[in-house]
Amino acid sequence: MRRRPGIGGLQNAAASRDQYRLLGENVAKIRTDLMKEQLTTFRTQLEDFARKHKNDIRKNPAFRSQFHNMCTKVGVDPLASNKGFWAELLGIGDFYYELGVQIVDICLATRPHNGGLINLQELCSLLRQRRKSDREAVSEDDCLRAISKLKVLGNGYEVISVGKRKLVRSVPTELNKDHNEILELAQAQGFVTVPEVERRLSWTTGRAIDAFDTLLDEGLAMIDDGHKDGVRRYWFPCVSSISAPLGADS
Amino acid sequence: MQKLGDFKLPQFFNYPPYFTLQPVRDTREKQIQLWKDLILDYCKTHHIFVIGLEDQDFPLFSNPAIERSLTYEAREAFLSALVAQGRAEWLDKSRRKCLVLWHRIQDWANIVLDFVKDNGLEDSVMTVEEIRTGIESRGTELHGIDRTVLMRALKMLEQKGKLAIFKGTTADDEGVKFSI
Repeated sequence: MRRRPGIGGLQNAAASRDQYRLLGENVAKIRTDLMKEQLTTFRTQLEDFARKHKNDIRKNPAFRSQFHNMCTKVGVDPLASNKGFWAELLGIGDFYYELGVQIVDICLATRPHNGGLINLQELCSLLRQRRKSDREAVSEDDCLRAISKLKVLGNGYEVISVGKRKLVRSVPTELNKDHNEILELAQAQGFVTVPEVERRLSWTTGRAIDAFDTLLDEGLAMIDDGHKDGVRRYWFPCVSSISAPLGADS
Repeated sequence: MQKLGDFKLPQFFNYPPYFTLQPVRDTREKQIQLWKDLILDYCKTHHIFVIGLEDQDFPLFSNPAIERSLTYEAREAFLSALVAQGRAEWLDKSRRKCLVLWHRIQDWANIVLDFVKDNGLEDSVMTVEEIRTGIESRGTELHGIDRTVLMRALKMLEQKGKLAIFKGTTADDEGVKFSI
C-alpha cells in the first residue's frame, strides 16, 4: 500500500494493521481447528484400534504397554475414570484397580521383613504367584501403572530408583542421598559394611554409622554379627528376594 | 526350601541377620516372634520337650548353609520369650535347660482324658510308665511324653478329681487310678 502523508495516511495504516491482525487471528483459528479435527480423527481411530485389539490388550503385557504409550501421546488416559468409553470397552480400569489392591496387600504382608521397601522385581514375582490362576499376565509396566494410580489416592506408594533397580516404597519414610547410595551398594551382595562404605564412597565412619542407624531405625536394615571375620554386616531385605536362596558369603 | 529331615524350614532361617539379636525394638520383636514359632513348631513335630542352651547339636541353633549360629544371648532371649508367653519353663535357675510346652499343660490334661475315654479306662489303674510307653499310647501324642510334663498334667487332673496318683510297688514308679 502506498504510504500517504497526513491524517488520511495514518488512518489507513491503522485500518491495515487491524486487517492484518484479523487475518492473523483467522489463520491461527484455522490451524487450531485443523489440529482439533486431526486429533478427533486420531482418537476415533485409536478407539477403533482398541476395539479391534481388545483381546491383545488384555492378554499381552508388551502390547498393552505400547497401547498405553500411544494413548499418552494422544492425550487419552484409559484409566482416568472407571466409567466412560475406555473403561467399558476394555475393562482396563478394573484390571488396574484389582492389581493395586493386590499390590497393597503384598506390601503390607512383606513389611515386617523389609521395612516397607520392596524390590519391584520381587513385587511382580509375588504378584504373579498370587495371580497364577488368572489368564491375564502381569508385567512390571502394569505394576508401575497400578502404583501410579495408588499414588493418586494418596496412599503414599511411590517408586524410587536405586542404582539399576526400582524399589516400591509403601511407608512414608524419606530416604536421603546417603541412604540411597548405601542401598545401591547393597544391591551387589544384599549387605554392606562400614569399611566398604568408607572405602567406596569416601565417607567418614561417623557419616556411615549415622546413615546405617537411621536405616536400622526405619526397619529397612538388619545387623549381622555372625560372620567369622567379625565385621558387622548390614543387610537390606528390600534389595534381596525373599524367595531366592542365599548362599554363604565369602 | 531347606529341610531338616521332613521338616520345612521357614525362609527367614536362611537369612543371616536373623541369627543376630536385633538392636531395634520393632525389628527385634518381629525376629523373636518368628523364632518362637519356629521353636514350637519344630519341637512339636519332633516331640522334643527339653532344649539345652549349650547343646551344640540342636539343629535350630545353627544353619551351616549360611555359616551362622545363634549366640547364647540370642538363644536365651528367644526361649525367655517363650517362657514369658507360658509356652516354656526354665528347668534350672541358671537357665541352661528349658522345658518346651508345645502343648500347654492344660492341653496335655485334655489329651490324657481323651486317651482314657478312647481306651475305655475310666475306672482302671495304670502306671505312669504305662501311660507314657504302653501299647495303648502308641500312635498318640502321649507316647514318649516327657515324664515331668505328664506328671504335671496328671496332677492338674488330680486336683479336678478326675484321678488319684499313688506310689507304686517300686520306689520310682507311680500309678494312677482314673475316676472319670
